[in-house]
Parts: sequence; C-alpha cells; structure tokens
Amino acid sequence: METDEELVKRTLGGETDCYGVLVQRHADYLFGLGMRFTAGNREFAEDISQQSFLRAYKYLKSFNTKKKFKQWLTGIAVNCYKDLSHKESQYLSLEVIDELSYTPDLGGNTGFFELIKPLAEDERTIFTLRYVYEYQIDEIAEVVGLKSGTVKSKISRALEKLR
Amino acid sequence: MNQLEAVIEKEKGISYSQRDKDLFRSHILILIHQEQESKKFIRKLCLILFLSIGTLSLLSSRINEISNDFTVGLSDAITGDILTIANDFTVGLSDAITGDILTIANDFTVGLSDVITGDILTTAIFSYGLLVALLALLKKPDFIFN
Repeated sequence: METDEELVKRTLGGETDCYGVLVQRHADYLFGLGMRFTAGNREFAEDISQQSFLRAYKYLKSFNTKKKFKQWLTGIAVNCYKDLSHKESQYLSLEVIDELSYTPDLGGNTGFFELIKPLAEDERTIFTLRYVYEYQIDEIAEVVGLKSGTVKSKISRALEKLR
Repeated sequence: MNQLEAVIEKEKGISYSQRDKDLFRSHILILIHQEQESKKFIRKLCLILFLSIGTLSLLSSRINEISNDFTVGLSDAITGDILTIANDFTVGLSDAITGDILTIANDFTVGLSDVITGDILTTAIFSYGLLVALLALLKKPDFIFN
C-alpha cells in the first residue's frame, strides 16, 4: 500500500485519481474531527471535511512530503472550521449553541458534545486534538499555528472551565 | 476529573463514518475538476481579453490614423478640388475672357497691323514697279510702238 506522501507526489505529478485514494483514506478521520469540533453537527462536519479536502488539493504543492500528511490535513481542517463557523450564517454561533437549530448526531455518546459545549472555538479544537486524538503540544502548536506556550495556556483554561 | 477522563475515553472509542464514501470521493474529484476547468477558463478569458485589448488599442490607433487621413484627405480633396476647380474656373474664365479678349485684341491688332503694313508694302512695291515700267517705256518708246 502506498503511503500518503507517495500519493501526494503522484497527485502532484498529474495523477488526480491518486488524490481520490487520499480522500477515501482520510474521509472518516476528517468527518470525525468535524463532528467533534461542531459538537455533533453532521452537516457542518461534512462541509468542513469537503472544504478541507478541496483546500488541501489547492495547496498540495506547499505540503512538505517529509512531514505527515494527516497532520497537515488536520491543520487545514482546523482553519476550515474557523472560517466556516465565522462566515457561514447557516451555522449556529457557538455562543448560542444551547438554542439548537440542528439535531446533533450523538452517535451514542451524549457526554463529549455536552462536555465541550462551554468551550470557546479555539479551546474546543485544541482540547479535542490533545485529549481525543492525543496530539503532542508541539504538534498542536504546529497544526493551529500558535506557540507551544499559548497552546498550554489554552488547554489549562479549557480544563478549568470543564472542572 | 475521573468523569472527564471517562467521557474522553469513551469518545476515543467512537468512530464517525462519512456517508457514501465513494460518492463523497467522486464529488470531491468532480469539484476539483470543475475548479481546474474554471481556472483554465479564467486564464483563457484573461488571455483573450488581454489580446483583444491589445489588438483593439493597436487597431484603434490605426483606425484613428486612417480616419484622420481619410478625413484630411477627403477634406483636402474636396477643398483642394473645389479650390482648384474654382481657381481653375476663375482663372480659366479670367484667362478665357481676358486671354481671348487679349488674344482677339492682339490678333486684331497684329492682323490689322499686318494687313495695314502688308498692304502698304505691297502697294508701295507695286507702285514703284509700275513707275519703273512707265519710265522704261518712256525711255524706249520705239520698242513699244514698233
């Protein structure tokens, strides 16, 4: 089986179908990420996933093949989530998430989405990456484009809110 | 804290699946293809616009030049010809009238002069010739009457 990085190289070489393999491989991951960021808004999560793949293809040339494609894709998904939640009026503001206009797809877990509700947008993404996906602080810092110290302080603030 | 950890641990065990993954992949690839086609179209459109503007600006200067030349030429032609015609007409008429009059007058004068001068000379010569002949007859009257 070809690695992500090899598929990226082939895609950049003009084999667009190879990108289809990457989409299929990471579709569930990005969708899951979107579901957690949006506290179970399936429609929003699908949009994040779609926009992330499109944006990733657009900036594929800037991807450093020495790094992990999945991590790079995560960074793009975080940015897409931020952009979409700010731009799209069809989605609920996280501040008024109590007044739900969508039915959360809880997937059998009511706990996590309820848990992260009080968190701000950036705290939610960092908390999810740190505790659900078990990213290291440095990795999160790279993904979200912040300093490690800032990431640490945001995690501390998020934990305080949740206690 | 234990409750928090428990919720997180539970969440880790849950996997979310994208609906119709094959369809989703095809949809993404179609969107990418559309985007590429759109970019190509925009590039072509920009190129066509650039070339059109360039050609139009070139043509515009040439059209201006041609129309200017044409206008000036036409103007020159009209004005020039009219002036020439008018001038020629005026001059011609003047020449015709004056010339003819002058010519006529000149011819008349010359002719008259010629007629007068020529006739006088002829008359004089004839007269002198007649006189010489009369004198010769007078000197030798026997030759004539014998």
